[in-house]
Amino acid sequence: MEEIVRIVEEEETVYTNPIVLEGLPDVGLVGTIAASFIVEKLEYREIGHIESELFPPVMVIHDGRLENPFRIYSDADGRTIVILSEVAVPPKAVYPLTTALADWFRKLEVQQPIISIKGLPMKNRMDIEKPEVFGVGNSASAVAVLKEKQLDLLEEGFIAGTYAMMLRECAKRQISAVSVLAQCYPVYPDPGAAAAAIEVVKKFVTALDVDVAELLENAEEIKLRARDLMQQTTQSAQEMQKGMEQDMPIMYR
Amino acid sequence: MGLERSLLKATWGYNGNLEPLYEVEDLEDLILVTFDLPRVKKEDVEVHTTRNTLEVTARMSNAVCWERWGVVQKKIAFQSFKKQIRLPEPIEPEQVEATLKNGVLRIALPKIRQKVSIKLV
Repeated sequence: MEEIVRIVEEEETVYTNPIVLEGLPDVGLVGTIAASFIVEKLEYREIGHIESELFPPVMVIHDGRLENPFRIYSDADGRTIVILSEVAVPPKAVYPLTTALADWFRKLEVQQPIISIKGLPMKNRMDIEKPEVFGVGNSASAVAVLKEKQLDLLEEGFIAGTYAMMLRECAKRQISAVSVLAQCYPVYPDPGAAAAAIEVVKKFVTALDVDVAELLENAEEIKLRARDLMQQTTQSAQEMQKGMEQDMPIMYR
Repeated sequence: MGLERSLLKATWGYNGNLEPLYEVEDLEDLILVTFDLPRVKKEDVEVHTTRNTLEVTARMSNAVCWERWGVVQKKIAFQSFKKQIRLPEPIEPEQVEATLKNGVLRIALPKIRQKVSIKLV
């Protein structure tokens, strides 16, 4: 049977016990801004892309070159993999996309936790100078890793969207996965939150030698470039029940 | 609504204006509207309201200039953000309050309230 979502590795890449950073678009575009910054600053090379009939029929052009909007990057040693997209994830694609990615992580025999870089939408973000970052793990060992990195845990509540399903699909395959959630604007691109998230991700990936000061200096430029993706993502998020993240579960303890 | 949108719907115009990202929240006694306005200083923001509309114009400290981009394929510059919103309920224009912090403009528009006490029968 043909796969609904295909991970296409464009060249023979050698992986060395890789750690995966997932930065698909979500609230505040925290992961996408963080992932793009990492890829650009550390000059990661494109090693593949993701394609699916469930994605919008869109390609992107950079420097006159045709590229897939859902791309996979890696450092030279194959130790760090970054997944990002320049278009919003359509709600119908969330399940097959996260399933395909989790299957691919299993094929790669990833031993370190998959890290989704995301935002935690805050109504009062405007009044928060330095965003706090929280963690969610998909297993006892993943939670232990978060605690070891001294990350505050999201203790109660709903999570929704790609990272929620990423945690679940990885758990089903006994793959450790965590989400790093920085407080962010719900519907505005948030480079400040992305910088806060990167600072935490650096605790997991020691090779991530990037200075977020540059990200903060260029925050306004990034916000201007990210407007259209933010708008697409907000529309998509409404269908992914992102609003439920503000709800209280009935079995709240 | 899905990701579909009008074929030529864009968040920018050839008149040098960008449409800002914005959010409207309908609260009990007021309508709260925020706008994301990067590169904008407080003194360069103009807010106009009527009972039913809100209009924001904000000049950027540096124009945004994109070259060889998208359908334009030539240099295009934007100096301002501009957006007019039709409000979901009438408001009191004289009591509107606006603040700009960290590039986000927050406008609180109190709703017109004519309270009438109803006796239980």
